[in-house]
Amino acid sequence: MTETEKFSIPIGPQHPALKEPEHFVFSVDGEMVTSASVRLGYAHRGIEKSTENRNWAQNLYLLERICGICSHTHALTYCLGVEKLAGVEIPPRANAIRTLVAEMERVHSHLLWLGVAAHEAGFDTLFMYSWRDRETIMDLLEQLTGNRVNYSANVLGGVKFDVDEELAGAILDGLDYLEKRTYHYLDVVTTDAAFLQRTRGVGVMSAERAERLGVVGPTARASSVARDVRIDAPYAGYDEYVPNLIGHTTGDLEARFEVRIKELFESYRLIREILATIPEGELTSRMPRRIKANEAFSRVEAPRGEVFYYLRSNGSDKPDRIKVRTPTLCNMASVLTLVIGQQLADIPMILVGVDPCFSCNDRMVAINRGGRSEEVWTWERLRQYGIDYYGGSH
Amino acid sequence: MIELAALLFFPGGLFVLLNGMAYEWVDRKLVARFQNRVGPRWFQPLADNVKLLVNEEVIPENVDARLFITLPVVALAGVLTAALYVPIAGFDPAFSFEGDLIVTIYMLSLLTMATGLAGANTRDRFSLIGATRTLTQLFSYEAPFLLAFLAPAVVAGSWQISEINDYAGDHLWLILTQPIGAIVALLGLMGKLEIPPFDAPEAETEIVAGALTEYSGRGLALFHLGRNVELVAGITLLAAFYLGGISNPIEYVLKTLAVLFVLATVQTAVARLRIDQTVGVWWRYGVLLVLLQWLALIGAEVIF
Repeated sequence: MTETEKFSIPIGPQHPALKEPEHFVFSVDGEMVTSASVRLGYAHRGIEKSTENRNWAQNLYLLERICGICSHTHALTYCLGVEKLAGVEIPPRANAIRTLVAEMERVHSHLLWLGVAAHEAGFDTLFMYSWRDRETIMDLLEQLTGNRVNYSANVLGGVKFDVDEELAGAILDGLDYLEKRTYHYLDVVTTDAAFLQRTRGVGVMSAERAERLGVVGPTARASSVARDVRIDAPYAGYDEYVPNLIGHTTGDLEARFEVRIKELFESYRLIREILATIPEGELTSRMPRRIKANEAFSRVEAPRGEVFYYLRSNGSDKPDRIKVRTPTLCNMASVLTLVIGQQLADIPMILVGVDPCFSCNDRMVAINRGGRSEEVWTWERLRQYGIDYYGGSH
Repeated sequence: MIELAALLFFPGGLFVLLNGMAYEWVDRKLVARFQNRVGPRWFQPLADNVKLLVNEEVIPENVDARLFITLPVVALAGVLTAALYVPIAGFDPAFSFEGDLIVTIYMLSLLTMATGLAGANTRDRFSLIGATRTLTQLFSYEAPFLLAFLAPAVVAGSWQISEINDYAGDHLWLILTQPIGAIVALLGLMGKLEIPPFDAPEAETEIVAGALTEYSGRGLALFHLGRNVELVAGITLLAAFYLGGISNPIEYVLKTLAVLFVLATVQTAVARLRIDQTVGVWWRYGVLLVLLQWLALIGAEVIF
């Protein structure tokens, strides 16, 4: 093989390492990765555009379905934004419950990630155990909201579900069990020699690089970048229930494991604190149906990092524009640079190390390369283009 | 006539195949229970293979079709031949001659060689990388593995499996006198079978199914069956040499299942090694350990 000929490995859009469609091409020299590229957009669902045809309340249910894992995060970010637009204050009890569900969601998401990451390393036992224990928090979420995913706990202006004594007791019991298990997992990922061979010193990202690439969430915190929306710009109940920032300095895969597992303990502490001091009061405030022309943004710390929403209203009962940015998009560049110089076998772990959620991040992006004029196609023209493109034989 | 029956039904042929599928089930079930899963039903390996044999075999473009079809047959034939020389089910091996240990170990490697060739034969990128890894792994564990099986042969004073088996039955279990050899032999067998932590050649999350990615239907079924027979032949050999020999069916079942249990436990407890780490483990530790074992052996021979 000459030097100009590259041996490239395609990963995706269908590949056992990926649970969602995305296309990566890695060039390898033997087992060493020499370059990487990605093609995003396989699961573009046109959600942003669809929001413009639905009213404010309907959009809540649509946007909650952007992500199956951090569904509460998306609903929460949207609610915070809309409430800011309309200038509505939320009752303190509703804020506490929103925070509670957000932290429970973080627990389930981090446990899920732990299992997936272990599976990528070929450590299926850890995968099975962490997912078994994750069922505890899933059951609790179901008891609280009636759903295992897409809990639909939010409404515009508050929350739907209340926490009573009995449920609080069940959650505390579940947490005791999970806390015990989490100590065990922390022990495994920091001491298991075989597993450490796959994580220690692999995919090291310096703080400078993390800053330059705009990495967010636990991935950034593992590279000693202090970045957590819950602390930097508290929302919902986080000004009262303050999380400690969990950081790590080494920036390798082991650090990402450690940060996420230690964040679990932080979440358990917050959930206990919320349940102990939850304020009494109403669950919802009154929300107007129409919102006068205005614009707002909201940020929420999803389990994966910062979720950002931009919302613009035009006085009707429908939004004028909603823009969503999910953390995976911010972290994707880090994957492409980190894999270079690593072994082929490390690719899945580095990729999963940022906890990617591909379908959530697929948005339409218009890049204006200069010189090309912008034009808007009508629906008929687009349809005709499609028919012509595929030969019009159907 | 009796020889033909031994070849086709018992203890070779059909019996080893069924035994292999049964042990595959035991292995899968044990691993599943260790991982808190339910695991497959008892007939699952049989059902898998019947299904695969019925399925259409797709021969991809740009491959040597004859090689593509022949390789699974060669692989299965190799391990089935190997099984004839080991004391399956506690009976004397169907065939036996002075030096059959070397032939058996060679035949067991034929499956790995065939797998590697099968991967290199196709133009699929995952297969090519899988084939490279399979052969790389073969070269790393093969020497220590062979040395670990030759050590009992040396103390028994014979390179004939049945005689080593008899020797092992009459003396203190060799796992006690040659513990390092026993460990290296077990790990070598895991490398041969490509089970965790030595499953880099078929690492699902990186290269799909490795060298066998393009195989389907009959070819895949034959490779699977070959793997099963290799499992049976390998653990029988291990139990015969290191666990005090195998002289009757009850001993056979107990001792081979004990080895299988250890195999399942180890593969549950570890993460996958990268291929460079696999090579490192074998050449840095495996070879050294087994040489240490040999030095101890030679020392003991000289002194006593």
